[in-house]
Amino acid sequence: MNKKVINPETLNWEWEIRPETSWWNINLKELYAYKDLILQLARKEFLGLYQQTLLGPFWALLQPLLTVLIYVLVFNNVIGISTGNVPPFLFNLIGITLWNLFSEVFLQTSKTFSLNAEIFSKVYFPRVVVAISTLWLQLLLFAVQLILLFATYLFLVLQGNLNFNIANILLIFPIIIITTGIGFGGGLIFSVLTAKYRDLSALINLLIRLLMFVCPIFYTMSMVPENMQWFVIINPLSSLFEYFRYAFLGTGTLNIFLLSYSTIFMITIVAFGIMLFNKMSDKLIDIL
Amino acid sequence: MSDIVIKAENISKLYKLGTIGSGSLRRDMQLWWEDKILNKENPNKYITGGKKIDNNEIIWALKNIDFEIKQGEALGIIGHNGAGKSTLLKILSRIVKPTEGVIRGRGRVSSLLEVGTGFHAELTGRENIFVSGHILGMKKAEILKKFDEIVDFSGVEAFIDTPVKRYSSGMYVRLAFAVAAHLEPDILIIDEVLAVGDADFQKKCLGKMNDASTKSGRTVIFVSHNLQAVSNLCPKAIWLDKGSVRSRGTSKTVINDYLSTLQKKSWKKEFTDLKNAPGNDFIKVFSVELKPQFVESSSIIDIRTPLTIKFRFYNTSDNILLAAGIHLFTLSGECIFDVSNDSLLFEKGFIDGECNIPGNFLNNGSYYISIIFVEDSSKQLYYYEECLSFDVEDYRENMNWYGDWMGYVRPKFPVILKQSK
Repeated sequence: MNKKVINPETLNWEWEIRPETSWWNINLKELYAYKDLILQLARKEFLGLYQQTLLGPFWALLQPLLTVLIYVLVFNNVIGISTGNVPPFLFNLIGITLWNLFSEVFLQTSKTFSLNAEIFSKVYFPRVVVAISTLWLQLLLFAVQLILLFATYLFLVLQGNLNFNIANILLIFPIIIITTGIGFGGGLIFSVLTAKYRDLSALINLLIRLLMFVCPIFYTMSMVPENMQWFVIINPLSSLFEYFRYAFLGTGTLNIFLLSYSTIFMITIVAFGIMLFNKMSDKLIDIL
Repeated sequence: MSDIVIKAENISKLYKLGTIGSGSLRRDMQLWWEDKILNKENPNKYITGGKKIDNNEIIWALKNIDFEIKQGEALGIIGHNGAGKSTLLKILSRIVKPTEGVIRGRGRVSSLLEVGTGFHAELTGRENIFVSGHILGMKKAEILKKFDEIVDFSGVEAFIDTPVKRYSSGMYVRLAFAVAAHLEPDILIIDEVLAVGDADFQKKCLGKMNDASTKSGRTVIFVSHNLQAVSNLCPKAIWLDKGSVRSRGTSKTVINDYLSTLQKKSWKKEFTDLKNAPGNDFIKVFSVELKPQFVESSSIIDIRTPLTIKFRFYNTSDNILLAAGIHLFTLSGECIFDVSNDSLLFEKGFIDGECNIPGNFLNNGSYYISIIFVEDSSKQLYYYEECLSFDVEDYRENMNWYGDWMGYVRPKFPVILKQSK
C-alpha cells in the first residue's frame, strides 16, 4: 500500500476539471448514463435522413440494389469476370453489402467533429457518444441491407441453385464485428485528423473510392495474379470479404493467418482510435 | 464548509491569436519531430511568462480566477465584451479545458450557452423537445414527465407536430427555451439567453430562473449584459475585466463599481490656455463638467440622479446681449430638450454657467449635450457640439419587470386610479 495523504476537503467532490486529459479515460458508467442520448441522436439522424423524401427508408435498399445491377452489367457482362456457378447478382450483392457496412461506418464516424462542431462548442457530453450513435444507426441500416441479402440468398437456395450450410452462415457475425471495428476505429482517427486538417476530408473520399478496388468485392483473391498477391494480402479487409463470401457460398480462399491479422488490426485500430479521440476531443473544441 | 458546490482555483486559459496551429500536417510533424525527438527549441512554442516569439501571439483569456459558490447561491458574472465571461462559462461547463487550474464540484451541471442547442430543422417540435432535452442532459423519463409542461410553457401547442423549420423565429426560440427552462440540474449555468424573445417571454424566463434559485434551491451561475436582471436575480456577482476578477461581492456593489468606472470617462472637459480651448473669435470655452448629485451611497448616474451641467467660457466682446442654450440629445441624435437663459448684458471676461436637470426625469439610456452661444437671441456665436456624454442607468425597486422602459423621458407624474362606485 502506498501512503496517500488524503485532504479531507477534496474527499467529497464529485467531479473535477483539470487541464490535462489522459489517453485512456473512457468512463463506462458515464457513457451508460448517456444511453438515452445515444439512441435519441441515432433517431434524430434517421428521421432527418428521410424527412421529405419520396421513398423514405427504402433508399437503404435501393442504393445497394442499383449498385449491384451496375456491377453485374459492367464487371460480369461487359468485362466478363466469371463468378463460376454463383449467380452474378448474389456474388456482387454479398461483396457490396459488406463494403457498404465498412465504408458507411468509416465515413460517417469520420465526420463526428466536422458535423457537430456547433453542438460541441455549446454543451458538454462525452464526445464519443456521437460516434457511438452514428455506429448504431449505421448498424441498423446495415441490418436492412442484410435482410435484402438473405432474401436473395434464400430465394436462390429454394430454387436449388445453392446449398445451405448453417455452420457457415454463423461465420458472418465475427466478420461483421471485425469489419465494423476497422471502420469505426479508422473513422475515429480520421474524425480527429479532419477536424485539425480540413483538406484531409477530401482525401478520405478519394481514399475510400480507391480502397474499394483493392478489396476483393467483385473479384476473388484467387483471381489476383501471383505477383500482385501481396497487395491484397496486406489489406486487412481482404480476408473479411473472402470469409463473408464463404459463409454464403462455401467457396473462396480461406486463410486463418490472414483472418488473425485482420482481427489484430481491428483491435489495434479501435484501441488507438478511442485513445486518440479521447485525448484530442477537448483540445479540438478550441480550434474547430 | 461542506455546502460549497463549486470551488475554482487559479483558473487560466490561454489562446493563440491568428491561425491556430501551423495549419499543415507536414509542418506539425516536423515540429513534433524536432521538439520530442531532437529536443530542438521550437520557435512556435509557448514559453511561460507570455514571451512573444515568432508571429504567434498569445492571449490569456482568463488569468488566475478563484471563486467558490455555495449550495443554492446565484452568482452573476458581468464585464465588457471580451472580458472572459464566456470562456469561464465554457470551462465550467466542461466544453473547453483550462490551461491551468482546477475546478472541483459536486452535483449535476447543465449549461445553457445558446438557445436551441441540437435542434434539427427538419424534425417536428415534438421530436426536437426530445433531442434538445437529451443533449442538455435530461433522461427520457424526465422529458416524458415534463412534456406537457414544456409545450404549455412554450405556447406552441398548435404547431407541435410541424417541422421547426416552418416556425417563426419567435416560436422557435420559445420552444427552445421552454425545454431549457425545465432542466433540473443541481447547478445551472446560463449565458445571455435573455436577449431573445419578446418582452413578455423574457419576463416569463426571468421568473422561471428566479424560481430555480430561490424556490428550488438550485445553484445558478448567470452571465448577462442586463445588469438589472443580474442585480435582481443574483445576490452576489463577479466583475471580470481582461481575464481577471476586478471586483466581487454583493451584486449591488459590484455593479456600482462596474458602472462608475464605465461612466466617469467623459464627464469633464477642461482647457487651460486660450489656444487649445474650443471656440472662435467671440467665445472660448474653458470647461464643461457634468456633476451628478448621487442618490444614497451610489456612485453611478441612474434615473433618480439629479444632474448639474457647469461650464465656463471667455467672452471677447463688451456690452453684448448673450444667452447660452443646452441641447440634450439621445445617442441616435434626437433632441430631448433645448433650454436657455433670457439674454443678459455682459462685459468682456469669464462667464460661468449652470444648468440643473432634475432626477426622475430622463429615461435610462445614453445622452450627449451640446451648448449653443447666441447674441441678441438671434445670432449664433458658437455651437459647441457633443461636448459631454453620459449614460443614465436603470433603477427599479419592487418590480417584476425587467424589459425596456419606453420613452425618452421617465418623469414621475402621478397616475391616479380610483375605484368607481
